[in-house]
Amino acid sequence: MPPWNDFEPFIVSGLALGGVYALSGVGLVVLYRATGVLYLAFGAVGALGALIAWSLSTKAGAPGWVSWLVCIAVAAAVTLGYGMIFGPALARREPLVKAVATLGLTLVLYGVMDLLWTTSGGQARSLGLPTDNTAFTMGQVQVTWTQIIALGAGVVLTVSTGAFLRFTKLGTAMRAMANDREITATLGVPVRRVEAAAWLGCGVLAGIAGLLLADLVALDPTTLTFLVISSLAAVLIARMRSIAVTFGAAIAIGLVHDLLTPITSLTNYRDMTPFVLAAVALLLMPRRPVMASSREEA
Amino acid sequence: MSQLHAPRARRTFLLAAGAAIALAAAGCSSSGSGSTSTGGTPTGTSTSAGTPSTASVSASQCGTKPGQTATGTPIALGAIATNQPGTSFTDIPNMAKAYFDCVNANGGVNGHPIKYYIETEQTNPAQIAADARQLVQTDHVLGIVGNTSIIECSVDSSYWQKLGYYVIDSGIAPECYSTPNSAAVNMGPRYSSDGAVQYALSQHVSKIVFDQSRVPGTDYIAAGPAALAKAANTPIVQLTETVPITDANSVAIKEVDDAGPNGAVVLNFTPPEALIILQAAQKLGLENRVKLWGCSTPCNTDFLAATLGPKWNGKLFVNAELTPPDSTNTTAMSLYKAILKQYGASVQGGIGSFSQMGFTEAEIAVHALESITGPYTVKSVNAAFKAVSNFNTGMLCQLWTYGSYPMHIPNNNDYTVTPDNGKMTTAQGCTNISSVDPQIAQYRGVAGTAPMAP
Repeated sequence: MPPWNDFEPFIVSGLALGGVYALSGVGLVVLYRATGVLYLAFGAVGALGALIAWSLSTKAGAPGWVSWLVCIAVAAAVTLGYGMIFGPALARREPLVKAVATLGLTLVLYGVMDLLWTTSGGQARSLGLPTDNTAFTMGQVQVTWTQIIALGAGVVLTVSTGAFLRFTKLGTAMRAMANDREITATLGVPVRRVEAAAWLGCGVLAGIAGLLLADLVALDPTTLTFLVISSLAAVLIARMRSIAVTFGAAIAIGLVHDLLTPITSLTNYRDMTPFVLAAVALLLMPRRPVMASSREEA
Repeated sequence: MSQLHAPRARRTFLLAAGAAIALAAAGCSSSGSGSTSTGGTPTGTSTSAGTPSTASVSASQCGTKPGQTATGTPIALGAIATNQPGTSFTDIPNMAKAYFDCVNANGGVNGHPIKYYIETEQTNPAQIAADARQLVQTDHVLGIVGNTSIIECSVDSSYWQKLGYYVIDSGIAPECYSTPNSAAVNMGPRYSSDGAVQYALSQHVSKIVFDQSRVPGTDYIAAGPAALAKAANTPIVQLTETVPITDANSVAIKEVDDAGPNGAVVLNFTPPEALIILQAAQKLGLENRVKLWGCSTPCNTDFLAATLGPKWNGKLFVNAELTPPDSTNTTAMSLYKAILKQYGASVQGGIGSFSQMGFTEAEIAVHALESITGPYTVKSVNAAFKAVSNFNTGMLCQLWTYGSYPMHIPNNNDYTVTPDNGKMTTAQGCTNISSVDPQIAQYRGVAGTAPMAP
């Protein structure tokens, strides 16, 4: 076992990795609680927005802030468009059908990105943010402000979304609709409008996450699209219900993952961390039905 | 109530797990396609030399009858290349096609145009085997030129041997270098990693950390650097990473911690993955925590140098299997750039190692085809490929030879480049890869050491 000093930098990197998982995980839970859809295209729409932002800033010479706004707008538009077109048709279907439908969107977007931003000829891309240039030292390594912002965004997102769903009229309507669309409609809630708001919000989150993850992880369609799989572990630990638990689980996964890195005998297995923790958590936690809980909250 | 909803909870879990598995599976699959290229009129010879060029070179110099389209019976050639999300080697056959198109438009090969079939694959052995049979049985190709695939050599090697095809390719899998019927223009991941480690050892580092992606064949690649480090009495730590890399920070920290202040970190990854690690090291302020960083050939791109910035000038040393295109002004290099400009619209990466490989393979093939005096058959074409000896490609340190050897590593002498304000510049000229690697020693034992290019 390495001395404690060797672990210090991995605590810093683990928190940053946990923040990355949290950004995606919290976004997934928000939409699931609002619409009942496990949005597997969350990473792909963020990646699409980030790649368009990259093209705008590097090819078209657009100012950075314009490309960032376009990134968020594209992710929001794609998500809203999908939700508006397919949401009503899928509303009465099983959760599995809804999730697989978003998997279809994922693969379509993935194919488009691979076609338009090819890796042929060893091409690689990078999207930096101004906050990368300022850093301070902690645990023997530099910490950039982008990492702090990502972690902070996760906290802010967790608190604000939790409060929004619990205390606002629209949030309450979203939760009610996710549990029973028909009953909610009979109560006079404009379900299409509420649904649109949920999809739009999720799209905005996907765009913000895509922008930050393109900087923190990589501007690569494959990486960003499938990063959602590791985030799913945090979502599963939270049983797709609690935003706060999702955030905490994501941070824990990031920390455990990185703290295993300096341990020679375990380092090659550290990528299993999200799934092992999710499996252990699901086995140990009491078998509380996910949907029933939401219904009670509604 | 709990019992009533238990099945729904299980369904929800299964839903998520199933979707995750489906996503992961989707990342490993895609569809393939083929493309063809036909040409013009007969003629020809083209022997691009590596001699210094003072005048501008026109693409028409690829053939012996400039402006005359070849109209004879087409000579069918074929290639198989990996093309899947995140990994595409199609630039190599696409550049070979550009070269053949140029030859076809400027006299062809002894009057015959080259018809070039490109099959793509997604690392699926059954698909790769079917591609080979498609080329042979349906397209009736006479030779295989420009293959670049993660596992094609492993899958098709025995098939090519059985049919008497002598493949000119860009190698990745061990069988591209260790079998009688494959000769590559590049050094591939093992020998390129050897070159990067060899450079680090020449700088008297106290320890090597060699990190590569965790894919089939890593043990084969790792054996080369391990042999070099052992011979130099320098400890080596071998690491592997799951790709795509999502935890670049911890990867960079571990590499630097393991190497120590007088050590070297040597990477063997695709350009996007290497960039992720190097950028993470830079953001964490780790670039100066080791004596030097090294990288195998994929890092040799100006994009990487420009993206990383000046902090890596003289700090990162990249093995370069082919002549650096920016600082070279030879006839062959000028012809390569002219053909790329005029015929290379489908070469997405532009100037770089991949298109250089495609150019070199096509150049060797055309040189061999021009030597045939009788009919063009599988037998005559492959005999001509096999007979190529001491050919000056203008792209390699050494003259290139196929030959009747049980194994082929004809490119075993290379450059080292380093970033210099956004460009890769030569840090070390042509240097032999050490025979300490047992595979290199074995090849030189049967083929000798090739003469240096003039």
